Amino acid sequence: MARTYALRAGLARVLHHPLTAPAAVILLTAATLWLAAGAGGYLVFILALAAINVIVGVGLNVLLGLSGQISFGHIGFYVIGAYAAGILMLAGLPYWGAFLAAGAIAAAVGGLLALPALRVSGPYLAMVTIAFAFIVEHGTIEWRDLTGGQNGLMGFPSPEAFGRMFFETEMALLATAIAGLSLLFYLRLRAGRWGLAMRAVSDSEVAARSIGLNPVAVKTAAFILSALLTGFAGALFTPLQGFISPSSFPFFQSILFLLAVVVGGTGTLFGPVVGVLVTVMLPEFLSSLAEYRLLFFGGLLLGVLLAAPRGVMGTLARLAATEDPTPARPSGRPLAEIIGGARATALEVTGLGIAFGGVQAAENVAFTAPPGKVTAIIGPNGAGKTTALNMIGGFYQPDAGSIRLGRELAGAPAHEVARAGIARTYQTTQLFDHLSVIDNVLIAMKKGRLGFLLGPRPGKADRQVAEDLLGVVGYRGPLAREARALPHVDRRLVEIARALATRPDVILLDEPAAGLSQADKESLAGLLTRLAEAGLVVILVEHDMDLVMGISDAVVVLDAGRPLMTGTPAEVQTSPAVRRAYLGEADFEGRPRPAPFERRREAVVATTRLSAGYGAAPVLEAVEVEVDPGEMVAVLGANGAGKSTMMRAVAGLHRPVEGTIVLADRDITALKAHAIAGAGLALVPEGRQVFPEMSVRDNILMGAYRRRDLKPGPEIDALLKRFPRLADRIDQRAGVLSGGEQQMLAVARGLIARPRILLLDEPSLGLAPAMVRELYDALADLRDEGVTILLVDQMATLALAIADRGYVLENGEVVTSGTTEALKGDPAIEAAYLGIAG
Amino acid sequence: MIVSTLITGLALGSMYGLLALGFHVTYAVSKTVNFSQGASMMVGAVLGYTFAVTFGWPTIPAIVAALLGCAALGLVVERVLVRPFASRGSDLWLMATIAGGLILENAVLFTFGKEPRSLPSPLASEAISVFGTGAYPLQLIIPVVGLLIAGLLALVQRRTKLGKAMLAAVQRPEAAELVGVDTRAMIAASYAISTVFAGVAGLLIAPLFNVSASMGTIFGIKAFATAIIGGISSAWGVMLAGLLYGCVEALTTAYLGSSYTQIVSFSMVILVLVWVPNGLFGRAEVKKV
Amino acid sequence: MTKTFAVTRRHVVAAAAALGLAAGTALPAAAQDPIKIGLIASLSGPSAKSGEAITRGILLAMDEINAEGGVLGRPLELVARDDENNPGKGITAARELINREGAVVIFGGLQTPVSLALVPYINQTKVPFMGPWAAGTPITKNGAAENYMFRVSAVDEMVDVALVERAATLHGATKPGLVLINNPWGESNEKGIMAALEAKGMENAGVETIEANDVDVVPQLTRLKDAGADALFLVANVGPSAQVMKSLERMGWDVPVVSHWGPAGGRFSELGGPRAKDVEMIQTFTFSGNDSPKAAATLEALKKKFPEIQSAADVTPAVGIANAYDAMHLTALAIENAGSTDGPAIRQGFYDIDSYEGLIKTYETPFTPEDQDALGPEDYVFTRFIDGEIIPID
Repeated sequence: MARTYALRAGLARVLHHPLTAPAAVILLTAATLWLAAGAGGYLVFILALAAINVIVGVGLNVLLGLSGQISFGHIGFYVIGAYAAGILMLAGLPYWGAFLAAGAIAAAVGGLLALPALRVSGPYLAMVTIAFAFIVEHGTIEWRDLTGGQNGLMGFPSPEAFGRMFFETEMALLATAIAGLSLLFYLRLRAGRWGLAMRAVSDSEVAARSIGLNPVAVKTAAFILSALLTGFAGALFTPLQGFISPSSFPFFQSILFLLAVVVGGTGTLFGPVVGVLVTVMLPEFLSSLAEYRLLFFGGLLLGVLLAAPRGVMGTLARLAATEDPTPARPSGRPLAEIIGGARATALEVTGLGIAFGGVQAAENVAFTAPPGKVTAIIGPNGAGKTTALNMIGGFYQPDAGSIRLGRELAGAPAHEVARAGIARTYQTTQLFDHLSVIDNVLIAMKKGRLGFLLGPRPGKADRQVAEDLLGVVGYRGPLAREARALPHVDRRLVEIARALATRPDVILLDEPAAGLSQADKESLAGLLTRLAEAGLVVILVEHDMDLVMGISDAVVVLDAGRPLMTGTPAEVQTSPAVRRAYLGEADFEGRPRPAPFERRREAVVATTRLSAGYGAAPVLEAVEVEVDPGEMVAVLGANGAGKSTMMRAVAGLHRPVEGTIVLADRDITALKAHAIAGAGLALVPEGRQVFPEMSVRDNILMGAYRRRDLKPGPEIDALLKRFPRLADRIDQRAGVLSGGEQQMLAVARGLIARPRILLLDEPSLGLAPAMVRELYDALADLRDEGVTILLVDQMATLALAIADRGYVLENGEVVTSGTTEALKGDPAIEAAYLGIAG
Repeated sequence: MIVSTLITGLALGSMYGLLALGFHVTYAVSKTVNFSQGASMMVGAVLGYTFAVTFGWPTIPAIVAALLGCAALGLVVERVLVRPFASRGSDLWLMATIAGGLILENAVLFTFGKEPRSLPSPLASEAISVFGTGAYPLQLIIPVVGLLIAGLLALVQRRTKLGKAMLAAVQRPEAAELVGVDTRAMIAASYAISTVFAGVAGLLIAPLFNVSASMGTIFGIKAFATAIIGGISSAWGVMLAGLLYGCVEALTTAYLGSSYTQIVSFSMVILVLVWVPNGLFGRAEVKKV
Repeated sequence: MTKTFAVTRRHVVAAAAALGLAAGTALPAAAQDPIKIGLIASLSGPSAKSGEAITRGILLAMDEINAEGGVLGRPLELVARDDENNPGKGITAARELINREGAVVIFGGLQTPVSLALVPYINQTKVPFMGPWAAGTPITKNGAAENYMFRVSAVDEMVDVALVERAATLHGATKPGLVLINNPWGESNEKGIMAALEAKGMENAGVETIEANDVDVVPQLTRLKDAGADALFLVANVGPSAQVMKSLERMGWDVPVVSHWGPAGGRFSELGGPRAKDVEMIQTFTFSGNDSPKAAATLEALKKKFPEIQSAADVTPAVGIANAYDAMHLTALAIENAGSTDGPAIRQGFYDIDSYEGLIKTYETPFTPEDQDALGPEDYVFTRFIDGEIIPID
């Protein structure tokens, strides 16, 4: 066992050594050259074709693998390269000039195509490229004077160099050499800043802009490079074949180009090489099948796709994947020194306003945020906080007002705002998911100034800065971990480190505490204070009042898009206007049962030794939970304790699980979610998950999907009486509802199913306190009416206030359980969890 | 000339529209499409020919049987070519469906035959006079059928429980599961419907055209163009875009000459997308920061 | 104690050869080793039927030759490759057939570009090429000093002269229109017809192209009608030709249609509707109305060898079968004349054929270095499709 590990680690060290990949490329190229030099005849011709296809594949890999854009139209660039070379050769230009010109022309067309292509994505982009391919094809057919029409061009003079005519062997050597060079080019590009930028843009354009990257420039560069390589490949095809015509370049070839990349493994270095074995070599093996060749080719292709759904190299890489565990080694420099510079500018916002489709989302927002201070923006849901941040960050163009950081920034695009010194984080973290933690930070460091295309990897000094920043924010995990594999807390921290890497003057933080545990919130508070101490303008949008009141120097209160007041935390807290608008009346405690509850032990839902996990890591271990008829049971625990996983497992969203889950005497352990719903269990999921494009009424009716005896009129009326807020909104799209309204809707959608048991996962998450109160009153009503409820909520005091019993989860195991009265007195829980009460 | 050109364009455009509706149905539910819609269309026509001519069945049973065959094909496509990839979050369904089309076309070539065959229809045997120009009755019926199907689909989506369940499944797959919608079954059903639409197109066009293994390829690509410029998320949008595309083709041929047809129509696709990146009738998917 | 393996290039090439890729060095042939004849044609896709016809013609001739003891005492064997209508694939296939399979003559090329693309390679490797189908003029008239391209088929330039002649004299056309399939064949005939019209001092009403998958060509035809066309030249395969006739029917436009041999595919009557019978098309050969005993015998042999052929109507396209059949016999004679399978010797062998009684006609010195086409204008006949059979007309 240990030996296997050591072997794997050793293998990983070899595979990840910076010289391994170039050495492999050079060896492969040398071997192919040696083979081609002696092969002759048919084999050398096939090798040449394969090498040409590898070049196209590398070009496509730049586009697809790095910048994440698909193209079905690369045959168009190939045709342009082939014809440009052919026409210029016939016009008497030496081959080498024609070759370079062909690449340049293809690249220029690539830049032109990028203009429409960048406006669209997904299937729309696919179609633009398909249309491009067909336009080029018909262009070669119709522009007869230039292209020779359907009957094509021939009679090209042989290329010449070193006094030697280039026939097929020489062309094969040349193509192989260029294919090798293109692989090295890809390697260098991918490792350098431009490659990182392309991958970053591919993962999240929004975040890329906020670190100063201009996605249009980065994606255009990918298009141009991709077209350049493909044009070169076309220019090699012409003298090799000696004849080109429109039928030499069927559209199907374009699909084969793309296929080579995805079959080989998108984004992997050798993917195109492996892919070409399938798209160029395989048909040759099958040539004796004559008319049945395409049939078998299609079948084999499907087989390869099914066997290696991530592409051959991608699948292999996964098998050999190991992660370098080295964490950041911060030098301990203070933050001010790491990000350098003297910061004395304040951010001044005046008269800022924006309307969406006639609705004034923000109006006359004004504040001055001085350096070295934390300025908080608070307000109830829908108050326009994030809208304000989006205007400051350049994602929305304000209709009115001014944003000054030394100079006017209102209306500037996001990447320019970032370059001017404003960095930000997002409500839902926007990391570059396929980049490592350290690369996420490194790419932000140049604020989009990427330098020379094949410029070097970020150097030692940059890496040290990145590690220092990760140290400052408190990230302790491996530097090499892919961002998508990070737990929630670390995502927040890395995102802050990335924002700091742009060495900003201002940092905008959008609900950084959402979803963090109490302990994590405390360290976050410390971090934010340190950011201010380092001289930054810190602007914080946050729901967590303890955090806001604890660290802010000034608080701006927004209500319905307008500023309500600005003041110190103490002033805001004591302002009756703010209290009314925002905090509601007195602190809310949750309404207990009017009369004691009599428990009948005939479980509606019971789990026995329920275990579940993601991959190898168990998240739930042998959990035993029981809910009896009419009972309201709360599940408590810190973040990551497994509460949500348990809810998802019971509802059937998480499969497979071990142990058993019984719903009203029926074993539902193996059932899927829709079948469990049909059996009488309704989960109101975390994050509400209403159907945004459907009306409120249709949303509610969807809840009754499995019911045959629905009386829509009276039943909806009854629900609207329970949730009066929804009545006004009944015919609006659910997507425009506020968070609180959506939560009410989600509960209503669960209730109309008339379930045996209602599961609620984090119903209060992200809601303003007034809304939480309204919701919890409704839940208490349901409880009093005898609905069986299993509840998970972050706000433990609330949950305990209205529930009859509770279970406490820690690291996926039930550590204690009992009546809520008993649990409230349990000091261990008090310490671990209930500290947030208040 | 304008009347006959428009008749040509509308009939052709309805074909594009019908195939494009097939793209729309599966995309709306699963964000995936069968890139071999053209092959599905061909299968519809080939099955129709086999049942009606080779086996000599009466028209109605032959049509029903052909469409049932298409539905079955759709289920197979989803199960074998799409689900194995889509369920793992891989985009390779795109390549797999293309490979599937290649297999289908070649398999038909060696079973059905290498020659195009004619599917006779009383609606396409004698031309009638419309505004002074000749047309087969079928050419006039095709746009009507196309619009009827688009309308029916829009109605089903908006008014029926099944339609709403499909919308729910695409908007919030997990929440749909939680209210009891079997999203997998919805996706499978959408593929069956998609292929049936293609089959209908194949059966409608066959009497005007012919039946052969390669009859659908170009149709499939143009139908995809249609779906895209219509804004793939709207049933009406793709049907109208189909009619538009057909008319642009016919008008270009009639007034500029056939050498411009393909260049003009494909350039139109790009220009439309530059102008409205989500298609003429599509709505942008709202992204919140 | 490791043993060093010296891997040489020869090993690798041998390994590649074992995998079926590399050039197998031609070993001295044993007496009974078959002589391989290569075929490069569209065997899949829309032109598959024509590819099949050529294959059948060759195979039928080969059977007869092999039954008589083969050539040079060795049997003939056909090695077929699909070119998917793509010149690039055709070039690759030619290399594979010559280098790996050791084919001594290459048949092929439905589409003119595929054959054209092969010209430089064929003349360079000196392995003769025999074209039973593609009619592009420059295939055989390619200007090479040592020309290895031979053909037993129609030649577009000459066909076009015949088409124009017929339209002018028989139908009194003064301003005919052109309806051409948008592929190399159509384009090559555009040049030919225009040249022939010019030679006769005639006008034209315009050139319209149609796509292989066009359902409705009324817009194109309307343009020609409005331009005053009094006859149509049609150059297209069966499917598109049928669409032209259906569109003419719909328009109610009664105009003479003089056609290249495209509609000769068997189902034209079925596909083209009532107007299909009006098309006058040029052919090099028909089984119907052909009273030569050789034709009858060949039809019988075809029925025996390919059970799905039940009548002359199933022999489609007949020209493909007949051209390929005669071409194979002529090629066998050339190899016999050469006394070896050496390319230049076979080329000389073609010139040395003095007389051969074939299916299409009796060939007298069919090939000379000046004219490597075995068929000429005197061999063309005009035909109509009547009830599924191709009937010669005056």
